[in-house]
Amino acid sequence: MKRLIALAVIIGSAIIVSSWPSYGQRDPNARCLLECHGKPDFKREVAPGQFKSLYVDYEQFKASVHKEKLCVDCHTDVTVIPHQRRPEQIHCLQCHYQGNVVGAPVSERPEKYKESVHGKAFERGDPNAPDCKSCHTVHAVRPPTDPLSPVYRANIPKTCASCHVEIYTEYLEGVHGQALRNNVLESAVCSDCHREHDLFPPDDPRSSLHPQNVANTCARCHTDVKIMERRGVPVKQVEAFKKSFHGIAIEFGILRSANCVSCHEYHKILSSRDPRSPIHPLNLAQTCGQCHPNASSNVARGRFHIIPSDPDAGIVFWVYEFYRWLTIVMTAGFIFYIVLDLYGRWRHARRSSHG
Amino acid sequence: MADSGNEERLVQELQRELEHELARPLDDAELQRIKELVRAQLEAELRAKQRRAAQEKEQEEYFVRFSMNFCLQHLVLAIGVILLTITGLPIKFHDSAWAEFIFRNIWSLEVNRVIHRVGASLLMLVSVWHIGWLMTREGRRELRELLPRVKDFWDFIANVKFMLGLSSERPRFGRYSYSEKFEYWALVWGTAVMVLSGLMLWFHRIALAYLPKYIFDVALQAHSGEALLAILALITWHMYHAHLNPEVFPMNMTIFTGKISKKRLMEEHPLEYEQIMRERAEAEQP
Ligand code: HEC
Ligand code: HEC
Ligand code: HEC
Ligand code: HEC
Ligand code: HEC
Ligand code: HEC
Ligand code: HEC
Ligand code: HEC
Repeated sequence: MKRLIALAVIIGSAIIVSSWPSYGQRDPNARCLLECHGKPDFKREVAPGQFKSLYVDYEQFKASVHKEKLCVDCHTDVTVIPHQRRPEQIHCLQCHYQGNVVGAPVSERPEKYKESVHGKAFERGDPNAPDCKSCHTVHAVRPPTDPLSPVYRANIPKTCASCHVEIYTEYLEGVHGQALRNNVLESAVCSDCHREHDLFPPDDPRSSLHPQNVANTCARCHTDVKIMERRGVPVKQVEAFKKSFHGIAIEFGILRSANCVSCHEYHKILSSRDPRSPIHPLNLAQTCGQCHPNASSNVARGRFHIIPSDPDAGIVFWVYEFYRWLTIVMTAGFIFYIVLDLYGRWRHARRSSHG
Repeated sequence: MADSGNEERLVQELQRELEHELARPLDDAELQRIKELVRAQLEAELRAKQRRAAQEKEQEEYFVRFSMNFCLQHLVLAIGVILLTITGLPIKFHDSAWAEFIFRNIWSLEVNRVIHRVGASLLMLVSVWHIGWLMTREGRRELRELLPRVKDFWDFIANVKFMLGLSSERPRFGRYSYSEKFEYWALVWGTAVMVLSGLMLWFHRIALAYLPKYIFDVALQAHSGEALLAILALITWHMYHAHLNPEVFPMNMTIFTGKISKKRLMEEHPLEYEQIMRERAEAEQP
């Protein structure tokens, strides 16, 4: 009878093992999975009647960026299997820090997360604050280039939406959200403006959305001729903004001046052709009126974001050209006259000293 | 030497006369007394002569060219324009490293704007002052002298010929030469453009209510273009005529003191000199 049972166990496990293609006997992770973490209902009682799943979807794991890793590469305190104690809580940052030797990529500076709004909230114990796993998952981490990854460009807004759902719906109405829905991957997603890890509140000078940094944040795409030409959006706005008094004022510390988002809104950025847009000619008086109380519909009479040296600037271009040529001609004339006068004096002085 | 010879001769003459009158030779003490008297007399005469010569020179060599009022106008204008230049250029060239250096280390943009407005106020003050002054008798006379005339054009041609060596004589200028008139009217035009466009920028809150945005943009562009033109004119034309020119180097002080030497007046404004002389002669005749 005992032998029969033993046979049944061997045959049974052989069937299980052979029907589970991912981990054969030789897979070093098999010992973790076979009896425990590979079972979908494997769980632990954290409080009476409350359970936490300890299941690891190995198929997902095998498709993840960390597939080469062993369970124990990350869970380093697990030395005997099955472990006797509850393993220590571990963190992705134990590898993904600047200067790590295991080759964990850090091009997006994940350790900045600690100082970010999210990291600070997490530290405070905010139950809704995201940790790495909220955006990346734990055992199914995929690179940002993988369309199945929650941090793939097209999926990022949805990932953030799990907590910021109102902003997500607003974002979807704006041009950037619309474009993304139409699979224009160059369009701006949440992390293009906010950054993913070093995400600070806008009053922090390190924030990509600090008034002094907004223009450069938008500039990453809005000065890129290739992207903008493909989408039929003009590219000179950022340059023109930096030349305008608003831009100069912001750059040199007058933060109450206007930056891109003071006029354009931020999540619901709309084209000037859209009547809901704050930069639609009919709404412009109100938009400028936030800061210039007397602004009237006159502010819509004329082009915006003009570069004087560009023929698109219309009459301003002609004024620019007029002064450019006048200055060149006059200054050249002055210098020519002065040289002539000096020459005349010199000749005169020489002649009278000879005479 | 001549003086001491003169002195000896006088002493001998006196000695001879006295000896003749007294009919006896003078003793040493008397002779010494005579010598002292003669020397004191001669010295007094010399001092009086020198004083007279100095007075004459002063009267003769210098003429009053500008009134105190006019000099003060220029001074206020100069201070205003310098303030406007040093605070305007960094805004125009805000991309440049030096502008960035100024704004980050020397004075902030906020301070810059205040100084620019102080400069603008001085410029506007002097404009109003000048217009008021032009209504006075002195101002009306100056304005008449400043009006451009056909002669100015021919003076210009003649001067260019002289410089090129095609003629051996400089044209003869009146109170204001063509180059001075040119600078004056360029300044009037430039100030009008700068003040009008500048007021629009200063009071953009009001301007935004009543003027279309493109007018504002034109004003901004004109302000920026005219400013650069004016600054370049100042550092070429004005710098040369008032400072670097060999005749006045290193600086023509006339605009600050109001005075001009006879030599320069005769050379630079011969017609005015002649007229002054004519007027003086008329005044002296009964
Ligand atoms: C790339 C590193 C990495 C690898 C490889 C890895 N894990 Fe994890 N694992 C983590 C991290 C990080 C956490 C903690 C997540 C959190 O903060 O809740 C974790 C948590 C767990 C937990 C839950 C612990 C708890 O208390 O909530 C289990 C169970 C687990 N891992 C099992 C496995 C098994 C089994 C394998 C091998 C198949 C494995 N892990 C491989 C990084 C890894
Ligand atoms: C044992 C160290 C280690 C730990 C712990 C670890 N990683 Fe990694 N991670 C790596 C290495 C090594 C790579 C590179 C894998 C490769 O390219 O083959 C990597 C790659 C990645 C990538 C792909 C980056 C890219 O640009 O392709 C992401 C995303 C990532 N890890 C996220 C995480 C997250 C999230 C955690 C925590 C749940 C975590 N990692 C924990 C070592 C680690
Ligand atoms: C709020 C969501 C969020 C959180 C929290 C977050 N990330 Fe990311 N992470 C992203 C996004 C979005 C990207 C994709 C960036 C891109 O498009 O290149 C990313 C990319 C990455 C990458 C790949 C790029 C690289 O650096 O090579 C790594 C590695 C990474 N994160 C690690 C971490 C670690 C470690 C943590 C926790 C300390 C963390 N992330 C927390 C959103 C998040
Ligand atoms: C797991 C939930 C969660 C996810 C996912 C998440 N956030 Fe947050 N986020 C929060 C919480 C909670 C706060 C509030 C922090 C606080 O109160 O200081 C926050 C704060 C912020 C803030 C600052 C808000 C403020 O008032 O200044 C920004 C910006 C932000 N998140 C952007 C993002 C972006 C972008 C993503 C996606 C890449 C994202 N979040 C993903 C939970 C999340
Ligand atoms: C075009 C750039 C841009 C994009 C894309 C963007 N944001 Fe924002 N977001 C901003 C700006 C700008 C602010 C306001 C900063 C300020 O208050 O000055 C902001 C503010 C926020 C805040 C703070 C709350 C508030 O409304 O002021 C949260 C949270 C946030 N964004 C989340 C998101 C999420 C989630 C997404 C993606 C669905 C996203 N943002 C996409 C630019 C952007
Ligand atoms: C990641 C790149 C990226 C960033 C960052 C970005 N944009 Fe855009 N933006 C785009 C693209 C792509 C489009 C064209 C969308 C389309 O095809 O309709 C666009 C469109 C727009 C439009 C509408 C143009 C039109 O005529 O329809 C405005 C306005 C705009 N962006 C403003 C901003 C502002 C303001 C910021 C910074 C706060 C910003 N964008 C940041 C990529 C970006
Ligand atoms: C977020 C606030 C804000 C908004 C919105 C804003 N401005 Fe301004 N603007 C300023 C500030 C600050 C200044 C600096 C002058 C001052 O102190 O008033 C300024 C200056 C100006 C000037 C004077 C420039 C100069 O060269 O002196 C003009 C013109 C102007 N704004 C036009 C506009 C117009 C037109 C709009 C609407 C499309 C607008 N502004 C929207 C804050 C704003
Ligand atoms: C003072 C307000 C103001 C600021 C600041 C501002 N814009 Fe604009 N922007 C406008 C207005 C008004 C238009 C309407 C188009 C026109 O009249 O030419 C516009 C048009 C645009 C457009 C063309 C889209 C369209 O629908 O016509 C883009 C792109 C754009 N802005 C980007 C930016 C970026 C990027 C910045 C920051 C570097 C910025 N803007 C700063 C007011 C502003």
